Amino acid sequence: MKNERKFDARPKVIGTHKFVDDYHYDGMIYGALIYSKVHHGKIRKITYPNDFKLSEFTIVKLEDIPGKILIPEPETDQPFFADKEVFFYGQIILAVAHPNKNILNNFVKKIKIEYEELSAITDIKETLDNKENTFGKQIIIDHRRNVKVEKNWLKTHSVYYTPHQEQAYLETQAMIAKYDEQNEEMFILGTMQCPFFVKEAVETILGDKIKSVQVETSEGIGGGFGGKEDFPNLLAGITALLSFKSKLPVKIVLDRSDDITITTKRHPARIEVETYTDPQTNKIRKMNVDYRLDAGFYQTLSPVVLSRGVLHASGGYNIEDVYIHGRLIRSNTPPNGAFRGFGAPQAFFAIESHIEKIASELKIESYQFRKINIFRKGDEFPSTQKISEDNLFDCFESIVEKSDYLTKYEKYKKFNQTHKDKLGIGLAIGYHGGGYTGNGEKVLDSEIKIKIDKKAIVTIYISNVDMGQGAHTTLAQLFSETIDHPFELTNVHIPNTKICPNSGPTVASRTIYIVGNMVSDLARKIKKDFGFDNLKNFVKQNKQIFPKEFSAKYKPDPNISFDENTYQGTGYKDYSWAACAVELYYHADTYQIELLNCWSMLDIGHVVNPKIAVGQAEGGVLQALAYGSSEFFYKKGFGRMHGFTDYTLPTTMDIPKLFIDFIHTDNEIAKGLGEVPMDYPAPAVRNAFFNATGIFIDEIPLIPETIFHAMKKEKKL
Amino acid sequence: MIKINFTVNNESVNLQVDDSLRLLDILRDELDLTGTKEGCAIGECGACTVILDGEAVNSCLILVCQLEGTSVETVENLEKDAVLSRLQNAFLENGAIQCGFCTPGMLMSAKALLDKNPSPSEAEIKTALEGNLCRCTGYIPIINAVKSASQK
Repeated sequence: MKNERKFDARPKVIGTHKFVDDYHYDGMIYGALIYSKVHHGKIRKITYPNDFKLSEFTIVKLEDIPGKILIPEPETDQPFFADKEVFFYGQIILAVAHPNKNILNNFVKKIKIEYEELSAITDIKETLDNKENTFGKQIIIDHRRNVKVEKNWLKTHSVYYTPHQEQAYLETQAMIAKYDEQNEEMFILGTMQCPFFVKEAVETILGDKIKSVQVETSEGIGGGFGGKEDFPNLLAGITALLSFKSKLPVKIVLDRSDDITITTKRHPARIEVETYTDPQTNKIRKMNVDYRLDAGFYQTLSPVVLSRGVLHASGGYNIEDVYIHGRLIRSNTPPNGAFRGFGAPQAFFAIESHIEKIASELKIESYQFRKINIFRKGDEFPSTQKISEDNLFDCFESIVEKSDYLTKYEKYKKFNQTHKDKLGIGLAIGYHGGGYTGNGEKVLDSEIKIKIDKKAIVTIYISNVDMGQGAHTTLAQLFSETIDHPFELTNVHIPNTKICPNSGPTVASRTIYIVGNMVSDLARKIKKDFGFDNLKNFVKQNKQIFPKEFSAKYKPDPNISFDENTYQGTGYKDYSWAACAVELYYHADTYQIELLNCWSMLDIGHVVNPKIAVGQAEGGVLQALAYGSSEFFYKKGFGRMHGFTDYTLPTTMDIPKLFIDFIHTDNEIAKGLGEVPMDYPAPAVRNAFFNATGIFIDEIPLIPETIFHAMKKEKKL
Repeated sequence: MIKINFTVNNESVNLQVDDSLRLLDILRDELDLTGTKEGCAIGECGACTVILDGEAVNSCLILVCQLEGTSVETVENLEKDAVLSRLQNAFLENGAIQCGFCTPGMLMSAKALLDKNPSPSEAEIKTALEGNLCRCTGYIPIINAVKSASQK
């Protein structure tokens, strides 16, 4: 456990760390994407401006694709370009490139596309309320155990809604493609989370016109949060096609407005929860969940978001009889994609809000109610996976104590009786399964490589990227601490598909949990095989052996299994657990909430670098608090967005005090951290407001409009 | 086209450029000072912040015609003879850097503050950095970094 400084921190403070737009190649031209400006319509006519020399431009459309037209995804259903009909605002119709950025921009502005507009579904609630628009494979987790509902049991029913959320990485999507005509090779450099996904996309679009594709990430990746999981596949494919056609290097950097208009977002959700609780024991005995995600027009990776969503949908509570039905709903909006949490934040918002509702109907304090029902060791998930530890309970108890919840709850109850403005404190719990769902890690079959040179300098070769989360520093630390090798002599190679093995994508909180533990295991194996105490001395005495490469493949645990059809078995081998308390002040005159404090207690197992871990957790918690309190798209189907004027992010003036702490850090395993801080704070905001005002709100964010309408509904205005 | 004379990082710059260019374009494309980043192009994110005549400004909102006779300072000017400034060191020590795309702008907003007010309060730091968005850190380590770089 050491606070080693990040490898890339120094170049970042002196301004030399290169992001995609900082790269330049001789003869490079610039590209732009032209996309639909209607939500649904037939393309009638495309007219290029006649005051430009058309021959100076490279233009690519669907018919220019020499390979396959569909982008490889878990569900391969989205074409790189629209054909004769567009299905959402932002669907790419063509791409253009030119050597001069200004001329390109003027040309693009003057391209005229005429449409015959058709009806479109863009309203989130309208979309999600209508089961008729279900598409793709549905998932059912059937853990019904014939529990008979008694007459005196409390039935609690509610429907919860969550909105889109924008990843808002500070560096927009950007890609460079460089075609080597002589060798029929394509080189891609970009900001991305999954270099091997990008490689496959470029191979797909170019087909047999190309012999090889090499993908490398830029030095700096200006944030990802899931937003650079699958959209880069589309962008790289199109950039490569422009380079293939023009025979020149092509760079596309989306401007913020285009980026926020056309890229993937967090799925809006409608989650209907029905529970039956025995008022004598205050135990939830039966639960039904209808979990729906708005996928956008194409499924793309929504089926895997749905998988994770349903596996987290019953929350952190032991309920004997559970039935979960998950489905995707189609709308005329851009396909939604990965965003930190991946279906779990929606689930926890619903369940953690519902717990407050049941407790209030039972007239018991929600802390007590949670304590009665929370997962304990030996309980089981609806997938029948057994809970092997008491760590969720420990996080919960610890946060209640750290936030002084019980004292404040009583104190604020008294305060609120005599004040127009209100104070509230609310709780929520969450968890996140590490790595790919079910058999995913087995299928990924990740591989890593480690090279040790004659000076005992260790280089780790992987395909996982460092997008600011400090993953490369942490991976190097894991090697270094496992066999006590100097950190200064340990490096991670920049991900490159020709040089590094495929250790899988940088997603699903798996980089440290899966790849990091592979690095530790391989370090231990190297030490054991050579039988040294000190690697540096060993290399010095055995120079003839080095440089030497070592590799390892992911070894799935043979004792666990998951049935992809019934969703029974081990959904995730290990879980990160968390609990939090949020304290807020409600300004009655303006219907505004002001977040004061947020305490989080997380169990992520072994904390490799506390400073990096706290930084990750704080960033995730703030994104989640904003998800619950302020971030939203005000336009239906959002259409043309201008950037951070239309979609506002928290600034330094909006942050509450954040307290982050970790528990059970003596665990040998480093578990996932990337996503769990996103899963639980939003419902804690909602629950704090509920405790402050007694107003039941079934959606986020808690902006003044939401509060105003909820008060009107409850006739408190 | 327009002719301009101004200084960038204490060096005189004389250019004849397209009059539609922004200060950000001149820094990145004409002078190859790519430490300054473009995040939104409409003055919302602060990634392109530089110091212009002592004030932190969004360089995406400054047109070339506003530059005559001015003095501009960018992130490339903070390190002297391979020695980091106190502020840069404070960013490193406090874990204020994650993806790093907002970092140059954050540093320049913080420097403009500390140049005028060497001992700012937390509220003053927050106000000075209000125009700089960061999506990774949650801001706390950045605020702590500026605090630790200020005079005690």
